[in-house]
Amino acid sequence: MGIISWLIAIPFLTALAVLFTPSRNVTWFRWIAVAGTSIHLILTGVVTWLYCTQSMPNASIDSASFFSTLYMVENIPWFESLGIQYLVGVDGISVFMTILTSIVIFAGVLASWNVTERAKEFFALLLILVTGVFGVFVSFDLFLFFIFYELAVLPMYLLIGIWGTGPKEYSAMKLTLMLMASSALILVGILALHHGSGFHTFDLTQIAKANFPVEFQNWVFPLVFIGFGVIGALYPFHTWSPDGHSSAPTAVSMLHAGVLMKLGGYGALRVGVYLLPEGAKTWGLFFMAITTINILYGSFAAVRQKDLKYFTAYSSVSHCGFVLFGIAALNFIGIRGAVIQMFSHGIMTALFFGLIGMVYGRSHTRIIPEMGGLGKRMPWLATCFYIAGLASLGLPGLFGFIAESHVFIGGFFGNPWSDPDVSKWLTIIATLSIVVTAVYVLRGLAKVFQGPLDEVKFHDLTDATFPEKLSTGILIERVALGGMLPWYAIDLINSSLAPIINRLGATAGTWAGF
Amino acid sequence: MGGVLMLILPEIIVALSGFALLVIDLFLPENKKHLLAPMALIGILAALVSLIAILPESGTLFGGRFVINSITTWFKILFLLGAAFTVALVWHAKKHEQIASGGEFFVILLFTQVGMMALISATELITLYIGLELSTIPLFALAAWRRGDNLSGEAGLKYVLYGALASALLLYGLGILYGITGHFELNLMRDHLATSPALWLAAALIISGVGFKLTLTPFHMWAADVYQGAPTPVTAYLSVASKCAGLAFMFQLFLGVFGGQLSEWHWLIELLATATMTLGNLVAIVQNNIKRFMAFSSISQAGNLILGFLGPYPEGAPSMLFYLLGYAFTNMAVFGVIVWYADATGRSNIDEYKGLSRTNPLMALVMALALFGLAGVPPMAGFVGKFFLFSIAAKAGMHWLVAVAAINSTVSLYYYLRIVRAMYIEPPDASFSRLPVSPVMQTTLWVATLGLVFLGILPFFYDIILRTTGNWMTVFAGM
Repeated sequence: MGIISWLIAIPFLTALAVLFTPSRNVTWFRWIAVAGTSIHLILTGVVTWLYCTQSMPNASIDSASFFSTLYMVENIPWFESLGIQYLVGVDGISVFMTILTSIVIFAGVLASWNVTERAKEFFALLLILVTGVFGVFVSFDLFLFFIFYELAVLPMYLLIGIWGTGPKEYSAMKLTLMLMASSALILVGILALHHGSGFHTFDLTQIAKANFPVEFQNWVFPLVFIGFGVIGALYPFHTWSPDGHSSAPTAVSMLHAGVLMKLGGYGALRVGVYLLPEGAKTWGLFFMAITTINILYGSFAAVRQKDLKYFTAYSSVSHCGFVLFGIAALNFIGIRGAVIQMFSHGIMTALFFGLIGMVYGRSHTRIIPEMGGLGKRMPWLATCFYIAGLASLGLPGLFGFIAESHVFIGGFFGNPWSDPDVSKWLTIIATLSIVVTAVYVLRGLAKVFQGPLDEVKFHDLTDATFPEKLSTGILIERVALGGMLPWYAIDLINSSLAPIINRLGATAGTWAGF
Repeated sequence: MGGVLMLILPEIIVALSGFALLVIDLFLPENKKHLLAPMALIGILAALVSLIAILPESGTLFGGRFVINSITTWFKILFLLGAAFTVALVWHAKKHEQIASGGEFFVILLFTQVGMMALISATELITLYIGLELSTIPLFALAAWRRGDNLSGEAGLKYVLYGALASALLLYGLGILYGITGHFELNLMRDHLATSPALWLAAALIISGVGFKLTLTPFHMWAADVYQGAPTPVTAYLSVASKCAGLAFMFQLFLGVFGGQLSEWHWLIELLATATMTLGNLVAIVQNNIKRFMAFSSISQAGNLILGFLGPYPEGAPSMLFYLLGYAFTNMAVFGVIVWYADATGRSNIDEYKGLSRTNPLMALVMALALFGLAGVPPMAGFVGKFFLFSIAAKAGMHWLVAVAAINSTVSLYYYLRIVRAMYIEPPDASFSRLPVSPVMQTTLWVATLGLVFLGILPFFYDIILRTTGNWMTVFAGM
């Protein structure tokens, strides 16, 4: 078993270990989960290092190629007659997303320190979910990809339904059904790609060599983009997100908003734009317009929210709009911005939801007007909240700024296949959201953490405990480091983004028959 | 001669076991009657082993009236698998469901098996029809087995009436077909088939007969009441073995006789598949009784199943057989839990499953995995089977049909999740404690669960089906 398989196997084995621990003592499950995710974190570090050393010498060759170059590939035939294989490997984008997931799940486990009700099932399901996420990011066979994708979505139903708050059953069902319905579109797209390519394989790297007719691409691309867009909170299919996130328990919100929504952007990029460049050119402007609505709608809706979780969920809708906006811009800077935004938003929103969980666990309310002056009693949490907020409004020096500036520059320059004036105007309209974001973030945080403290109601509040400090600290460190030293991230993904752009720039099918 | 006899050894074993049980039952004292179920199981398992032993071989018997090849063998494996699970469920449930009051139950069950085996191996109309009736008429009795129970009586009566009507229509259709072609042999009928208005009439009548057996909409009406009223193991048998027999029957007529026309009849398959899965799914949403619910669930599964007829492509039959194999294990796991729960608590409504994950976590897990399998959630066998069938529809260029089927899977997930919700999210009644599970049921559920999880993960099973039945178009439809 190669190192990439271990990336998938470790969370799964940890889940099994949790399930088969005979003890009823909650501490056991916690510690097993922490141990598993820490090992995973180390392994991710090793994979990153291996990827860097292996890919650096080839960077210029990879960048000139029409095909993503995979490293640490494992290819085992599965259903051979149907062209299905167990094909895993990584390119720069996969590594980047794996780092994100690894950090978020580690922080998520730490943030679930106070889950005591049915803790065994909770940690097992959480780890199975994250197995699916890792699987999606490293699998390059469409069948395998789809299996992992569904595996990542389904445990959410029970996680929200059992451990959630508020209208949890409604939210869980809505989320599951919307995401499953969207996966139906993805399934149609995958099967169409399989049969359309004529190669009798689900191997994504092989299908990439096909020269799909433009009409074919024109109908498959929107299916795939919308299919993945639903989980990436594409307007108007984002409605599962605020309900789902606000009902979910802390760690699940962190993972869902932080990582699962990124599956949408990742899939739209990997399956959509990479395999169907001509379809992307046709539909680019349309989706740019839709995602502009996303960005503005999310931020305006966030202004009106009174519940901290709804507030963050709508802000997520807006920020995930940036991801899809950057992808739809179809140029190097835009797509790079989209990938960076996936990472930065993942970290940032995980931080947000983690902090909300911690504040809620103390104040027992998430309603913004009911709180005030909490910063006096919980300085650590308040500081973290402010940093996350500033990152989300794109303050230079934090990771959010790098991502958003890329996306906007990409959108502004547009691409040769769509009207440059329209994409310019769309970008200008979309940038308005920065102002709106500043309004809701600063107003909301000021109300919660500043002003007079209700001494009677909040007399027994405490600041973060050690696991919570660790959990938030890791995330803060990422946001700050990414903001100040962005070139590490950019170097990591650059050579893997280039093939996508090369395919867009070339005449259709130049690469066919390689 | 010895070689030829080997080929029908499974049929001989099943028939002899039936007769043997009939006689043994006469002489067995009342307090030893519980031995009948294991005896029947041994007979069935022996037949299964002999089937697996003859798997790749083929041959004909009785002057060409009875054919054995890999496809017939696979179908027989499916029938016997359904029967084996059913007997195991009866073995567990006999006290409460009052079904094993005598050995007749197993005798009848085994005779239906012989009928099904004849159905798939027949090469001409007489044997085919006898096989069909032998696999259907005894089921009427099984459905009405619970004497004194109104629902069971109603189930039997409804089944008889609908069954008789379907049989009559079918017979009329077969008669017309004979009139058009002048032959009884299926392959000669295929060769002499000419397009004429009478052919359309015959086809329509035959579809209604096949649709009845396979519960295709709009011939599914009997299913809900019969499934609900029949003793639960019989329901399980109807939903698995009898459905496999329905597909076998469809194979015989649609491929054996209409094989040449099939590529022009896409619209018919599309229509039947769309109607069946959509109606099954939509009606399943509003059911409260779990057996009725499973009736509609299995109707919608039949809609997925017939997608394999599109094309036809070499992977069509293997995909359908693989789907049925996964379905047999999955559905039997669900019915196992239903039988066990109804036995232990007398409850059979969906919301009465609440809190099962607290009292019996393993049983709840089995049920949840099986329901996810039925909904087609990876990595269960149900997903892989569905994926292969959808792939056939996509290959035929019917991407909209794939979309309809996949959206239907989402709808089905909604109602399967209702049970998961009851089991996992809702708290149990305060009075409930851990319910005991008999060793028979434990074994049955372990087998079923391992099957429903690993059939789709290990490529071995699909590969062997494909390797042995990949030539089905030549064998069956002469293409």
